[in-house]
Amino acid sequence: MIMVELVLCGRGGQGIVFLTRQIGQIATAKGLEVVSSETHGMAVRGGSINSHLRIGRFFSPLIRAGHADFLLSLDPSETANNSHYLKRGGVTVENSTLPDGLGIKRVDAAGLAKNLGRVQLENVVLLGFAATLDGFPVSVEEVREHLSSETRAQVRSMNLMALEAGIRVGHPENGHKSPSPSPSRDGRGKGEGD
Amino acid sequence: MGNEAIGRGIIEAGCTVAAAYPGTPSSEVLESLVRWKKELDHPIYLEWSINEKVAFEVAYGASLAGARSVAVMKMVGLNVASDPFMSAAYLGVRGGLVVVVADDPGPHSSQTEQDSRFFGWFAKVPVLDPGTPAEALEMTLRAFDLSEKYQVPVLLRPCLRVCHARQNVSLGTPGAPADVGPFKKNWTRWAAIPRYRLVLHGELNEKLETIKREVPEARPVLISQGSGNSTALITSGSVSSHVRDIVASDHRLSSVAVYKVDLPFPVEAQAMQEIVDTHRTTLVVEETYPVLELQIRDRRNVMGRLSGHVPQQGELTPEIVEEIILKAIGEQPTAVQPPKIKPRRPSLCPGCPHRPSFFMMRQVFDQAIFSGDIGCYTLGINMGAVDTCLCMGASIGMAAGLARTPPANGETRVVATIGDSTFYHAGVPALINAVHTGAPFVLMIMDNSLAAMTGGQPTPAHDFLADGSPGVAISLERVIRGCGVDFLEVVDPYDHASTREALQRAKDYTFNENKGVAVVITRRPCVRAPNVELSSAKFRVGDGCDLCMTCVKDLECPAFQFVKEDKKMKIDADLCAGCGFCVQICPSQAIEPEGH
Repeated sequence: MIMVELVLCGRGGQGIVFLTRQIGQIATAKGLEVVSSETHGMAVRGGSINSHLRIGRFFSPLIRAGHADFLLSLDPSETANNSHYLKRGGVTVENSTLPDGLGIKRVDAAGLAKNLGRVQLENVVLLGFAATLDGFPVSVEEVREHLSSETRAQVRSMNLMALEAGIRVGHPENGHKSPSPSPSRDGRGKGEGD
Repeated sequence: MGNEAIGRGIIEAGCTVAAAYPGTPSSEVLESLVRWKKELDHPIYLEWSINEKVAFEVAYGASLAGARSVAVMKMVGLNVASDPFMSAAYLGVRGGLVVVVADDPGPHSSQTEQDSRFFGWFAKVPVLDPGTPAEALEMTLRAFDLSEKYQVPVLLRPCLRVCHARQNVSLGTPGAPADVGPFKKNWTRWAAIPRYRLVLHGELNEKLETIKREVPEARPVLISQGSGNSTALITSGSVSSHVRDIVASDHRLSSVAVYKVDLPFPVEAQAMQEIVDTHRTTLVVEETYPVLELQIRDRRNVMGRLSGHVPQQGELTPEIVEEIILKAIGEQPTAVQPPKIKPRRPSLCPGCPHRPSFFMMRQVFDQAIFSGDIGCYTLGINMGAVDTCLCMGASIGMAAGLARTPPANGETRVVATIGDSTFYHAGVPALINAVHTGAPFVLMIMDNSLAAMTGGQPTPAHDFLADGSPGVAISLERVIRGCGVDFLEVVDPYDHASTREALQRAKDYTFNENKGVAVVITRRPCVRAPNVELSSAKFRVGDGCDLCMTCVKDLECPAFQFVKEDKKMKIDADLCAGCGFCVQICPSQAIEPEGH
């Protein structure tokens, strides 16, 4: 049975909870067992937050230090606070303008999301990018299918655009040139909770 | 989510009355009931009560009338509800009555990390302690059955790691409304005088003995077979899930026999004693107080909090649990040490109306003592606007006491701040007391129309209830006037000049004219409230900026960022909510609308 452990981190308001739920829902739909934990309350007012997602036969929603396969970081300044969760050989996926490093894959999710007209979509961009990585528990196709099931048309189209932007960075070789989305500052789509 | 699983259990149990007061980590229970009610067209009555005491009393009344009912709160809420809770244990119930009390070891979002299982013990109320969301659903159903069968309230105690964990759970059928028949008058029970209370106390003790004997959950269950008889581990609740995963993943721990207790009070202590007596050592891992450990009579071979083997405070994270267990069997802990984390401190949101309220209060009352309260606005500590914070409503009660202290310099002044929801919850009696006794302080009520910190639950000022059905709106001004307050002004905190003037008039009234409590309401909806449209105005810092840092230090707005390389202040357009308050208060008038 597959056992994958993910830590997601960032600042309150960046859509960490939304991201955790999406991955959890996709894995659940595949018939995997999922247990996760979220931060609520005082800390979400712009403070540091992280969530844990464990896929496989687990009871506890918390990941032990040194056990995570992936660390998804929406804010580079939070990465160091959470990198102790990674196991040896674990991969960090970071929202950053810097180039990749040893065991760390980077994507300028915030920049790409801004190009789409809504920085709040950065979480979905990061998810698209992460889904292209080896060993990531949900595939590009599965994420695409999941986000396509959103019933609000505007939200759906914004999320899918953000997703494709992240995928293109992860798969530049087979990046089919899709028409560049027109930036609109009043885009009401949002990559956040319902 | 664990809280949603509890909500589902409440529906499946055929419960028809649920009352709650929001508080992390419990708030999503009633919120999920709102959704289930709509989706399933279930007849359950739902309310966000004014406080936890009232929530419990509403649920208790419904139980006496024959319905299954539930009261939901966080653990400090049970302190508020403790009076009816303790008494209800003696009187007993009719329809199943469950009290869901969410604990917050850590504490992550609370004033204490008290263990509600202890409260159950103190009140002589049985306690179920779920370890996962799936168990929380099962135990919710079980709690109603036990309550109805033994005619006692039952406390369901999920910890934060159950409340906010997500997991797939199997759903059962929504239960038909349960009813044990209409209220029957019997004053010796439902209105018992002390003579009958003695009788009822005896009955309660008998009920607990029967439960211990008859209810299987009162006995430890073996969940992981050990080898030999060297080490046993007894655990309960959310921390038992950490224990399971750790023992299953480490071959060095295969000798440890793990027992789990689902009903930590009243536990069958003799069964625990047998485990202790048949093992060389027994480790007790539970959260957050030594409830199981204390119920073991002979603790000479027991390791736990009382023996110093388990930390006395703080959440038992998986790393800590792993270390405790490895040390207990004489192995070296291998856990990675987490870095010294410098967590980002939370702040009031950009555009939050509390920020300008605090800013103007600091300007008008320079050296005052600021008596604060519980809510988002506790974050006023970042702005030097909160000096004390004790519990819900204490800003007003404490202000009256702080104002009685002989002033050291003749300048001691007290200003209390409280939010609208907290004022309704516990501020009203304190305000009546303060007016009656002529306590000299100014009270600023920051009315953002909801309970913001916990997710925007409605207050009694709204004309609708938790599920959107009609309710009677209670005017905040009329309540304050009714408390005997003569000085009352209402201002918009975004309007800097009128807020200053109102606070100045309040200052004169209370401190110069010595007329007692003055109240200023600063009213503007939370920026996260539904239907609040944020301003599209954007601002930038112009050349006139002399880097006085008022915007960063005194206003503490997260949208302002000092760019070190250029030595310039900048407004982050993604964070700025366009409230424009900074334009009004910038000392060098350097902030200008974008596009000028």
